[in-house]
Amino acid sequence: MSIWRLWLLTPIITLAACSPNPDDVPPLRNGIVYCSEGNPESFNPQLGTSGTTIDATSAQLYDRLLDYDDAQQKFRPALAESWQALDQGKRYRFMLRPNVNFHSAPWFTPSRHFNADDVVFSFKRWLEESHPYHEVNGGNYPFFTASGLNRLITDVVAVNATTVDFYLKRSDSSFLANLATDFAIILSAEYGAELLARGEPDLIDKQPIGTGPFVFEEFRKDLIIRYHRHDDYWRDPARIEQLVYSITQNANKRMLKLITGECDVIPYPLVEELAELDTGDEIQISSTVNPNIAFWAFNTDHPPFDNVLVRRALASAVNREAIIQTIYNGNARLATGVLPETSWAYSPVDQTYGYDPERAQALLAAAGFEEGFEFDIWAMPVQRAYNPNAQKMAELIQSDLAQIGVRANIVSYEWNAFRRRLARDEHDSVLIGWIADNADPDNFFRPLLSCAALNVGTNRANWCEPEFDQLLMQAISEPETDSRKKLYQEIENWIYREAPLVPIANSMRFQAHRSDIHGVEVPAYGGVNFRHAYRASSTDTGEQP
Amino acid sequence: MIRYTLRRLTLLIVTLWLLTVFLFSLNYFFPGDALTNMTGIRASDTLAYQQAFAARDFDASIFSQYLNFLGHFTQGDWGQSLTNQRNVFGELLPLLGGTLELALLAMIFAMALGAPMGVYAAGQQRGSMDRLIMGISLSAYSIPVFWLAQLLILLFAVKLGWTPISGQINPLFDVEVNSGSIILDILVSDNPYKTAALLDAINHLWLPVIVLAIMPATMLMRTTRNSMLEVLQQNYIRAARARGLSESRILLRHVLPNTMQPVVRQLGLMFSVLMSNIIVTEVIFNWPGLGSWLVKSIYERDYPVMQGGLFAFATLILLVNVCVELFHAWRYPQVRKELYAER
Repeated sequence: MSIWRLWLLTPIITLAACSPNPDDVPPLRNGIVYCSEGNPESFNPQLGTSGTTIDATSAQLYDRLLDYDDAQQKFRPALAESWQALDQGKRYRFMLRPNVNFHSAPWFTPSRHFNADDVVFSFKRWLEESHPYHEVNGGNYPFFTASGLNRLITDVVAVNATTVDFYLKRSDSSFLANLATDFAIILSAEYGAELLARGEPDLIDKQPIGTGPFVFEEFRKDLIIRYHRHDDYWRDPARIEQLVYSITQNANKRMLKLITGECDVIPYPLVEELAELDTGDEIQISSTVNPNIAFWAFNTDHPPFDNVLVRRALASAVNREAIIQTIYNGNARLATGVLPETSWAYSPVDQTYGYDPERAQALLAAAGFEEGFEFDIWAMPVQRAYNPNAQKMAELIQSDLAQIGVRANIVSYEWNAFRRRLARDEHDSVLIGWIADNADPDNFFRPLLSCAALNVGTNRANWCEPEFDQLLMQAISEPETDSRKKLYQEIENWIYREAPLVPIANSMRFQAHRSDIHGVEVPAYGGVNFRHAYRASSTDTGEQP
Repeated sequence: MIRYTLRRLTLLIVTLWLLTVFLFSLNYFFPGDALTNMTGIRASDTLAYQQAFAARDFDASIFSQYLNFLGHFTQGDWGQSLTNQRNVFGELLPLLGGTLELALLAMIFAMALGAPMGVYAAGQQRGSMDRLIMGISLSAYSIPVFWLAQLLILLFAVKLGWTPISGQINPLFDVEVNSGSIILDILVSDNPYKTAALLDAINHLWLPVIVLAIMPATMLMRTTRNSMLEVLQQNYIRAARARGLSESRILLRHVLPNTMQPVVRQLGLMFSVLMSNIIVTEVIFNWPGLGSWLVKSIYERDYPVMQGGLFAFATLILLVNVCVELFHAWRYPQVRKELYAER
């Protein structure tokens, strides 16, 4: 028998011994594997708002006219070297950077540098309905519609090859902040024209060409996205030669793959197992204060949620402290309003309903629902930075509501179907959230609660109040920061009175990485950035070029 | 033999034809638009939809629609995916390669492990090793593969750190996908780090192969043991012993060939079991194969992909079974006699 036993073990032992040492093999040493949580919807962030798409595309493939510096809270030049506001803030002039190269790929070789035509092309694609690319790949530009940028900009004009003028309908203090978001990327006009001539315009979002630090190589759905370094990048080229997104939807699997070393960096590690992960010195956790909010939105079109008393009652019936402890393990702050603490317009005054079941019952009685009622809570099937486990959160809310006699059914679908049905307003209420795209407080209100956001599917409460909209507009046309702050307090108070949504928590965005990986940046506003990322070699601690 | 072969082949063709009828009718049974389910072209894409409508004879009777469907289907036009608009047939081929690689290796491993163990156990009949082997085989047989996979992952990947747990290869090795079988793809690639890539691929491969092989191996063990015990009691073995042949000669020349007869017959069944396990295994190990593709398409309600995956799986199982039966009948003439009741 001893022979048999040996024979059984030989293949395992020989195989286990032959895994290559990453330091010996250049592709392993000069590359990073990021295990992303899903497939990007496309390779153009203009077309979506999903964090997965942003993480996979914006900072890697593209550049913007200007960047936002979180630490110093100011704008930095990117593709635009400088800019100035003219005509009392109704015209912005951008002076563009010369000698910026677009990617060269097997499917496109640029013949010229970046210039004003590219800016005009990129903005007019979503701005002008008559633009040949407007309808390509869906024709929906949710960020630009929700932020109102498509109604704010009246024209984009190339003055000369390196100067572009943006004409605005009115002065808007959030304009530059919106241009610095991950959505306002620059495409290649030359590539667009070439694809149009070839009759394949839809490839522009599938085989992307940008100016960013990495060049797209291949995408296999549910498996991988492969990028390689853009050697002619206008800033310092990236430090790694290859960047691979290994698509791993299951959060447990992601964590296991991090432990086995198959992933170098993972987003959204499970909060409950964070402590366990942190113990090993092979793995490090980093967190960014993320400007986000998890909330519970009532569909104010569906009775009985058209009744403000019912909304207030339910808001008072939920024990949010317990949710913070159970769902976030304390890694989140109890929301005091829609704006998180990171916003400059934040005020510590609590604008939410405390946990008070008796008051909730009284309110229900006043609304004529002494007997309670039955409705659906929709819970997201995926984790987001703002909500690691919507299903469990829904169960907690369900039991809280049962105490005041309201019966809640928990509903969930596969994520894409979930979003599609939400957009069709099939929900009674939904547990979802929002991550700010830019530093302006306006980004929390107009996309979530304005009438304009109704059609783009970010206004989950179906809340449209013309006077409230007017207040929002007043807040963005006001140039004085102090007065804006007051206006946002007024807006918060309005939301408190009407309770279209219940703010629950502001969580941190977590990311875990192997300890030999350095320089992965997760800016507070926007997606992950690998431009400065590198792997420290275990044999020589010197830095790789 | 020719008659038998013809009969089997006719049966195969008829089954495949019934399968296409089933697939065609699925387009109508699935919710939504039948043409969209068939081609993956949504009605919102008006121009392409109209072209497909005309190309597929959708204004004609169901019968000519079916004929048209069959025409497209046999030419490899299986529609496009509803989620990523990629050609289903083109997507399928490399995935088939991945699945076949895993299945073949698991099958070989199962045979290399199961048959000798069964022979050994039969040789030790009623001995302690026999009981041990049979005990292990029965318990291994009763472990569901999804649980076994998790246990082995915990042990070999997480605790011991010997092996990675997902995919075919470390994705940083940029190996171009041709056949879908990672070993073949590495061998034909011009990657400068071939050896390292090959080692890495093998390192990814052995755990799923073992997980997959365990169940067929235990089946083989028991079939081989029982069959060998039966053969050992035959008169010709007794006669051989009486003539004073050496034990090893009896074993190699007389026992083993006859033992393998029922074992070969079981191979087809084993392959079917393997195929249902491979779906689960591929999902667990993120293996880019037909199984994980099919499961994903079910989650995403991607009907054209679902049909392609179903057809590929069913055809694979049918083909292997027919091949095994033909081989069995060719190798063991007594089987043919039984089949025809020849005098």
